[in-house]
Amino acid sequence: MRDNRAIISRFLLTLMILLAINFFLPRMMPGDPFSLTSSDVQGEDIVIMTEAQRAYYMEYYGLDRPLHEQFIIYLKNLAGGDLGKSISNKMAVGDMIRIHLPWTILIVFGATVISTIVGVLLGTLSARNQKKGVDRFMMAGLIAFAEIPSFLLGLILLLIFVVQLRLFPIAGAVTPFADYGSVWSMAGDVAYHAVLPVLTLSLTQLTGVYLLTRNTLITVTTKDYIRTARAKGLGERVVWTRHALRNALLPVVTRTGFMIGALMGGSVLVETVFSYPGLGMTLRSAVIARDYPLIQGILLVIAVSILICNLAVDLIYKRLDPRVVI
Amino acid sequence: MFADDETRSTFPGLLSDLQAALDRIRAGIAKFSIEGKIGLFGLCIFVVMALFAPMISGHPPDEITGDSLERPGAEHILGTDELGMDIWAQICYGARMSLLIGLVVASVAGFGGGAIGILAAYRGGLADQILMRVIDVTMALPSLPLLIVISAFMGPSIANVIFILILFGWARPARIARSQTLSVKTHAYIVAARNYGAGSWYLLRRHIFPEVLPILFVLVIGITSHAIVAEAGLAFLGLGDPTSKSWGMMLNYATSFRSIYFTPYWQWWLIPPLVALIALLLCLAFIGRDLERVLDPKLRARRGAE
Repeated sequence: MRDNRAIISRFLLTLMILLAINFFLPRMMPGDPFSLTSSDVQGEDIVIMTEAQRAYYMEYYGLDRPLHEQFIIYLKNLAGGDLGKSISNKMAVGDMIRIHLPWTILIVFGATVISTIVGVLLGTLSARNQKKGVDRFMMAGLIAFAEIPSFLLGLILLLIFVVQLRLFPIAGAVTPFADYGSVWSMAGDVAYHAVLPVLTLSLTQLTGVYLLTRNTLITVTTKDYIRTARAKGLGERVVWTRHALRNALLPVVTRTGFMIGALMGGSVLVETVFSYPGLGMTLRSAVIARDYPLIQGILLVIAVSILICNLAVDLIYKRLDPRVVI
Repeated sequence: MFADDETRSTFPGLLSDLQAALDRIRAGIAKFSIEGKIGLFGLCIFVVMALFAPMISGHPPDEITGDSLERPGAEHILGTDELGMDIWAQICYGARMSLLIGLVVASVAGFGGGAIGILAAYRGGLADQILMRVIDVTMALPSLPLLIVISAFMGPSIANVIFILILFGWARPARIARSQTLSVKTHAYIVAARNYGAGSWYLLRRHIFPEVLPILFVLVIGITSHAIVAEAGLAFLGLGDPTSKSWGMMLNYATSFRSIYFTPYWQWWLIPPLVALIALLLCLAFIGRDLERVLDPKLRARRGAE
């Protein structure tokens, strides 16, 4: 109970710091959304609106008030689910996130499922053939694979499967202006567009799941209850699936939480590679347009979902294995 | 190693301890596997490319020396980009940028963080408690989204990128150095040395520092690759320093070029920085893994258990 409280208080502290960074950072930086600075002309602002217009907009967006007042307003709005209004396209930030978040969730979810299933399968295969050719080959290959960062992997897949083989679409999440005859053809189109982003994200997480499964299985199979199971005459298949794998899966399942967090972060770059219209792509365009509220909103959604995933992992892990001290 | 006698007499103990630690690392390198030696060899090539970039590049990386998007040929061995700048020259200078960022971030975050961790663990008390909270929070903050947003606001410059990477990078080495120090501190020989009247400084440099240094070296290599990836990723998103020549910026320019994928240009514009980055990261990974294996076989188990 006390440990749970420690975990939750750490979560809350991190969340507060995140909110503070999120709020103060944009306001500490030079420039504002109403002046464009050209990199060609050093130190010279291009006038795009008059002082009066500018003052009007500063007031309209509440940017003329003292910082602490702005912060309190920010927290209040946040508590009510209001993330403010996007400066670059006049939509509510909440609405923009609602439009783009499902795409990110789709590829993150797909990658979580695929990398977990494939990782467990490969890990089991490797553990069953420990120290043999298959095991060594997969170990060396997958570990080297893990060193390639997601966006480079994405670029490689893009060059191979889109540019060379022309198997997949180059950008987007659906075929533009498509007229779908049925739900199934639409689902097919969405899946078709999601293949490469999901594949890229899955590959970045695969090695972790694989190694964890393999190493846990190898540890588990030296345990006495495995010997007992064999001694009482159970077949190898039953020993591996019912006794070994079931116990080895515990850490894999808890790892999934961390994985979702890492994938949310990684999707920012991967979405950019494939021009996939999720939160990551939106964050990038918001950064270029200096759209504070939108940047804050997206950062908040991504960061808070990562924090919540980690919190869930900590709490669940504690529950499943009371020996853990965090 | 090559210190003159005067310095030697000022810090005799420190130098010989450092020497011992370096000897251990050198002995470790001699025991590298084929993989590790390939990694080391590859890294040396990149270092040479970076150091002698002006001599081997043939062309300046930021001047127009040819036609736009020339194919690889005798004059431009890897061709030219959209503006007619030599790609091979950009790759050479890019090695400089990647290695510089990796080196600075890793040494400051790795050794600085390590020193903080060692001191906190050695002193204990309130400072240690506070530090642990700070480390916890720093490590819990999602680094990639924050990295993107902070560098977007701080403006595109290499110094900012380095600063942010250090800001997020020091916590892990500090935590590991701290836990390592805590476990070393209770060893009988250290307690004995203290009872014989050894001072704090002596204990730290003679017994604790050499115990923690190997693990820090392994971490430093990890941080180096992480920093290189982060810089390339930020540059790829368009948050790099536009005046600098880095591999990430090359990727950014190439992928933002309209219809790059429908023309053959990607073959000599996109592939070289991609291959260079992956090769460098693989070299570092090979070295890191071998160093880890050689310096301390128990290390892996301990890190796996944390």
